[in-house]
Amino acid sequence: MNDSILAASDIRKTFGDIEVVKGVTVALQPGEFVCLVGRSGSGKTTLMALLSGLERPTSGQISLCGKDIVASSEDELALFRRANIGFIFQSFQLIPTLTAWENVAVPLFPEKMAEEERRARATSLLQQMQMEHRLDHLPGTLSGGEKQRVAIARALINHPKIIFADEPTGNLDSQTGQAIIEILTTLHKQQGLTILMVTHDLELSKSADRLLRMQDGALVP
Amino acid sequence: MRFSYVWRELTLRRRRHLTATLGLAVGIALLIILQALAGAYQQAARAPLAEIGADITIQRSGDVPQNLQGAVFPCSAVTIRKHEVEQISRMSGVRTTGQALLLWVFDQEQFTMVMGVDPDNALGPGKLRNFVLKGRFLEGEGGQALVESTYAKEKQIEVGDTVTILDSPYPVVGLVDGSRASKIALANVYLPLSEAQALAVASPQVQGVSPFTMGDVNLVFMVADQAAIPSLAVALKTALGDKTSVATPASFLRQLGNLFALSDKFASATFGIVMVVAFLMVFKTIAGGIQERAREIGVLKCLGWTNANINAQLLAESLVLCLLAGIVGVGFAGLVCYGLSFQELHIPIPWEMSPTPHFLPGGGEPVFKTVRLPVQLSWPLIGLALILSLTVGGLTSGLCIGRITRIKPSEVLRHE
Repeated sequence: MNDSILAASDIRKTFGDIEVVKGVTVALQPGEFVCLVGRSGSGKTTLMALLSGLERPTSGQISLCGKDIVASSEDELALFRRANIGFIFQSFQLIPTLTAWENVAVPLFPEKMAEEERRARATSLLQQMQMEHRLDHLPGTLSGGEKQRVAIARALINHPKIIFADEPTGNLDSQTGQAIIEILTTLHKQQGLTILMVTHDLELSKSADRLLRMQDGALVP
Repeated sequence: MRFSYVWRELTLRRRRHLTATLGLAVGIALLIILQALAGAYQQAARAPLAEIGADITIQRSGDVPQNLQGAVFPCSAVTIRKHEVEQISRMSGVRTTGQALLLWVFDQEQFTMVMGVDPDNALGPGKLRNFVLKGRFLEGEGGQALVESTYAKEKQIEVGDTVTILDSPYPVVGLVDGSRASKIALANVYLPLSEAQALAVASPQVQGVSPFTMGDVNLVFMVADQAAIPSLAVALKTALGDKTSVATPASFLRQLGNLFALSDKFASATFGIVMVVAFLMVFKTIAGGIQERAREIGVLKCLGWTNANINAQLLAESLVLCLLAGIVGVGFAGLVCYGLSFQELHIPIPWEMSPTPHFLPGGGEPVFKTVRLPVQLSWPLIGLALILSLTVGGLTSGLCIGRITRIKPSEVLRHE
């Protein structure tokens, strides 16, 4: 547990009278690729939000990269996320008015950094994603698969210690989805990235080192 | 803050921003136009006095002379005593004074408007020294006359001739273009002040209306501190009595009447209303934009932007939006002001400041000073407008900080 990159202990989250996450305890080791699976409404996205510091638990402790994220302020958490975490979302969540390379570089905008360096880092990642021909295109002109590649590049721009992916293939056809999973698997294997991926697709979860099943707000064996 | 993000946000979502930009631009344009118009009226109102280099003219009205014979005072301008002139010269805010003596002279079926001028003082009719057409201006004392060119042409008078006023001959030393002087300084013949004073002292008609001694005058011109003019006008009335007529730029503004009153009084009210509406439009746009962009703001927070980072970005968007609106407003106002600058303004000159006898042709007709409306954009006004635009942007953005702070990074997951 002490070596865990992510350790959560008895975390609970209630919205009004409804307890969405019920006393979850979980740990991820560095370099692990873990899939969190469960039916729609099982609470897996809320659990991911709690574990990544996007949402605060009603009770419980969470340590991420050695930081107690429950006790941190919102701005402290923002800076922490910028330095340590990458996010990939189902709906890509690209900024529609920024080009592909600018979207990738968004986490770097608040940093004091030369524009050339930002662009070089973003371009390099987009080249890895075979998106070099789309650097200056707005998201509206990209296909779903291309948008998700841009989103993956964005998640990698700050050299994160852990990536949280929420249904990253949910809005893609199966072939494109498979390609995205291959990219994540390659990143995990080649760079030793820790990944926590939320999905309801058991087929996709086969790529993971470990499977966490969620049901009615709790992890089940 | 990233400028390309700001710029694309404004240009790619222009429909959202266009209404606010135009609304604020109209407000800014109205501010500039109304201020420029008010300034133009105030500047135009100075024109009649500016021609004689004065800020204030002072006269005192009196009775109509019983007989129009010899030298008489126009009833609009009777004696102002020497000690009174000295007293008002010492008033606070007075920079310098000038004086003159206007007489109507009826002499053997001939009427002449005679003005005594202090040749050493550039105020009032002294300004005419710049408009001598032939010969020279009056110099020193002693018998000499300067003749107004139109009158000279009518009477076939040339430099070197002699004009006779009440049996006294005065050699003509120059001809002057009287049309360049304000109506208050207009006469047929200009004499040294002491010569005109001697005529007045010797005239029973003058003495019958208003006792007059050497050193007295009936027209005083004054240059004063601009800020002191209103209080000086009141003090002069108090010092010289109710029959004193004090002309100031403000009194000409009153002569301009409704049009100026409308532009002046409605300027602040209209501007206030328009700016409130414009402010609300900008606020609605910025606040609405934040609401619409809650997901985007959530994404930024997810990716490590702090509240301060996001506030700076939205502040920049708001400032650029309002600055653009300000620039558009200034441009629009510039066009309108350019068009207005071709308008002519007829400033009514009160009869007492242009005391042509009623029995002369045109003597009873209203007199106007016609000027082109001096509407122009000043750099301070443009600067004020742009600062105001930026203030609106800053204020609206500042008011939205709370909304931005309340958006949680998990907002992004609600849209999944």
